Amino acid sequence: MSRIFVTGMGLISALGDNVVQNRTALSAGKCGITNLELFLSKYTGILPCGEIKIPTETLRSRLNTHEQGITRTSLLALHAFNEATLDAALTPSQLTSPDTALIGSSTVGGMCLTDELYQDAQRGEQGSEYINSYDCASVTMYLQQRFKMTGVINTINTACSSSANAIMYGARLIKSGLARRAIVGGVDSLTKFTINGFNALHILSPVTCSPFDDGRKGLNLGEGAAFIILEKEEDCINKKKYAELTGYCNSNDAYHPSSLSDTGDGPYLAMKGALETAQLSPANIGFINAHGTGTENNDLVESRAMIRLFETPPSFASTKSNVGHTLGAAGAIEAVYSILNLYHQEIYAGLNCKVRIPETGLMPLNEYKKVSLHHVMSNSFGFGGNCTSLVFSKS
Amino acid sequence: MFYIHHTTCISPQQTFPNVDIAVLHPPIDGQLRVIEPPYTGIPSGVLRRMSRSVRMGVGAALPLLNGVAAPDGIIIGTANAGMEECFDFLKQIVEYNEGLLTPGNFVQSTPNAIAAQLGMLSGNKGYNITHVHLGLAFENAVTDASMLIQQYPENSYLLGAVDDISSYNYTLNLLAGWYKNAHTKAQNFYDTNSPGSIAGEGVAMFMVNGNAANALAQVKAFCSSHTTEANAVEEQLKNFLNKNLAEGEKIDVLLSGENGDNRLSKFYTACEELIPEEALVLRFKHLCGEYPTASAVALWLACYVLQNKPLPAHIIKKNFTVGQFKNLLIYNCYKGVQHSFMLVKA
Repeated sequence: MSRIFVTGMGLISALGDNVVQNRTALSAGKCGITNLELFLSKYTGILPCGEIKIPTETLRSRLNTHEQGITRTSLLALHAFNEATLDAALTPSQLTSPDTALIGSSTVGGMCLTDELYQDAQRGEQGSEYINSYDCASVTMYLQQRFKMTGVINTINTACSSSANAIMYGARLIKSGLARRAIVGGVDSLTKFTINGFNALHILSPVTCSPFDDGRKGLNLGEGAAFIILEKEEDCINKKKYAELTGYCNSNDAYHPSSLSDTGDGPYLAMKGALETAQLSPANIGFINAHGTGTENNDLVESRAMIRLFETPPSFASTKSNVGHTLGAAGAIEAVYSILNLYHQEIYAGLNCKVRIPETGLMPLNEYKKVSLHHVMSNSFGFGGNCTSLVFSKS
Repeated sequence: MFYIHHTTCISPQQTFPNVDIAVLHPPIDGQLRVIEPPYTGIPSGVLRRMSRSVRMGVGAALPLLNGVAAPDGIIIGTANAGMEECFDFLKQIVEYNEGLLTPGNFVQSTPNAIAAQLGMLSGNKGYNITHVHLGLAFENAVTDASMLIQQYPENSYLLGAVDDISSYNYTLNLLAGWYKNAHTKAQNFYDTNSPGSIAGEGVAMFMVNGNAANALAQVKAFCSSHTTEANAVEEQLKNFLNKNLAEGEKIDVLLSGENGDNRLSKFYTACEELIPEEALVLRFKHLCGEYPTASAVALWLACYVLQNKPLPAHIIKKNFTVGQFKNLLIYNCYKGVQHSFMLVKA
C-alpha cells in the first residue's frame, strides 16, 4: 500500500495566523492564552482563553468572503484551508477533482453564534442569515461549495478527538483507493456554549493552564483551525514532504461520558494501536505531543497510560499550555506541531509545569531543544471516551 | 462491499421490536415521530439519564449487541443527535445570563454520545466514531464500514444512524422553508407540488461484515456527491450503474427518497428515467419523514424488500410485481445538495 505524506499545512491559533508564526512562537516558549477580549460574554476580561485576536469582520474582509451566513468558525477554517492548499501547491483542478477528499471536523460548528441561534430557535418572524449555518457540517459544506469540490466530503465529531479522527479517516480513504489526496483537519471557535459547558463541569482553569503539574486547575479553552494535505508517495515527487503519516488508531475508553477510566484503557489502546499501524515499538517514539488538557483527570490518566505503554515515556509536552484546548481543532493543530517537530528536528517546551504528579513522577519537557527525531506521537482524547493517537515519521 | 446480517429500526411506524408496516401511522402536527418501544434492555437508572436520541439509538442497537459476538467497532451517522440537549443548555446560558448552570445537558449534547454510550454499555473498546456530515452522515458511516471490512474481512461492525426531531431543529428547518405546513396529510404528501417536506426521525442499526453466508442483503456499491445540478446526478447514476452492474444485470427495484418537495423532483425524476421502465419503484419518506439520515431507514427497508416480505400498497409508486428481486437501488437527496446511491443485492 502506498505511503502517505504531508505536503501542506495551514494553521491559525492564538499563537498566530499561519504555520511560520506558530513555529516562531512555540520556539520562543510563548503563551497565547490571555483574558478574553474580543469575545463578548460575561467572562470577557476575566477568563483566560486561547483567543485569536482578529475580529470576525476583519477575517471576513481579509478572506474576501461575501456570502451570507458565514460564521467565525467557517472563516477560521477557510483561513487554514487556504494556507494548506497553497502550501501544497494544489491546483484548482486538483481541488475540484473527484479524487480529492475533504474531511473536516468541529464540535461547535456554527453554534458560535449562541444568541442568534437562540433567537432563531425561538422563532422570530423570519430566520436570520445564519439559519442554515449552525450545524457542524456547515463548515465543511461551505468549503466544498466555495471550492466546488467533488470528491468524498465528510465531517466528523468525536468531541475533542474530532480532527485526529479526520486525519485518520483521510489516510484510510487514500489507502482504500477512495481518494488520491485528502485535505483533512478541524476547527472550533470560542462559544458561550463551550465556555459555560466546561465551566459548569468545573474544569475551566481560572489561571493559565499547567498541564501535568500536580497543582493543575483545569483547562483553558482556545479557538483555531488547522488543515493538512495528505498525498500518496507517488504524487509527491518533486514536492516538499513535511512528514509521513505512519500510524493511527481510534479506540474507546468505554467508561464514562465525560472522564477517562483510572486505568486509561482508551488512551493506552489508541497509542498502542497507532504504534502497531506504524509497525514501530515504543522505543522508536522520540516525542509525544500529549493531549494534556490540564484537567485533574486527563493528565493523571494519560500519564498512567504512557507509563503502561512506554515504561519510561519519551519526552512529552502539551501545547495546550500555549494555545488552550481548541476542542475539535486540537487534533489537527497538534498534528501540525508534531510535524514541525519532525521537519525542523526540534521540540517545544510545555509551559507552567512546576511540580510533578507524585504518583507518576513524569515531568513534561520544559525547554526548547534541537534533537534528532524520527517518530512523533500525537494524542487526542475526547468526551464519550473517544481516544485517537497518530504517529508521524520523518520523511 | 459488505453484508448485513441483522438489522433493527425504530421509526414512526411499527418496526420495533416486531415489524408491521401494513397500517400506516400518519404524521401528527406535520411531524412523523417515532413510536418509542419500552426499552427493556436498558437499566432504568441509565435510561433516565439518557437523552431521547441516545435512548432511541441504544434501544435499537442493543438487540444486535446482545445477540451475536461483540462487534469490532461502532460506527454511527447522525446530524442532529444531542440538539434538544444542546438547546436546553443554550436556554440555560441565555436565561441565567451565563450564571451557575448544570452540566447535564452540555455533556449529553455531543453527537458522539450515542456511539459512546453503546461502547460503554457493551464494554466495547474498539473503533468508535460518529460521522455528522448532515445528509451524508449515514453514507459516510457506510463508507467507513466498507473500508474497515475491506481491510479486516473477518471483523464485524455495528453500523447505524440516529436522528430525532427536537422542537428547535424543527423550528430552524421550518423557518428555512424545509417543511410544508402542519396540515399536510400523508396521503397527498408526494403530490402537493409545493416546496418542503414533512419532518421526520428514526433509527436504523445494522450488524455488518464480509461474510456472505446467511446474510440478509449485500451492500454492493455506493457513491455520494454534492451538487445542485440534476444532470450531474444523472451522469453519476449512469456511471454508477455501468461500473457496478454486471453484463445483463439490471435494477429491478428503485427505492426513492422522494419527499414531496417540488424543488427536488427534478433529481428523483432524472433517476427514475434512468432505470428500466418495468422496475418496481418504492417510496419511504411517508414512513419516516424527511431528516438527514433517512437513507438508513431506506437501507433497513431494502433488507425487508429483499427478504420478499409482503409489500404494503402505500410504499409502491409503480409497477407492482411479485418476484425475487436481485438488485435494489436506493437514491436519496438531502436539501437539493447532497446525493447518494446505494446498490443493495439480495
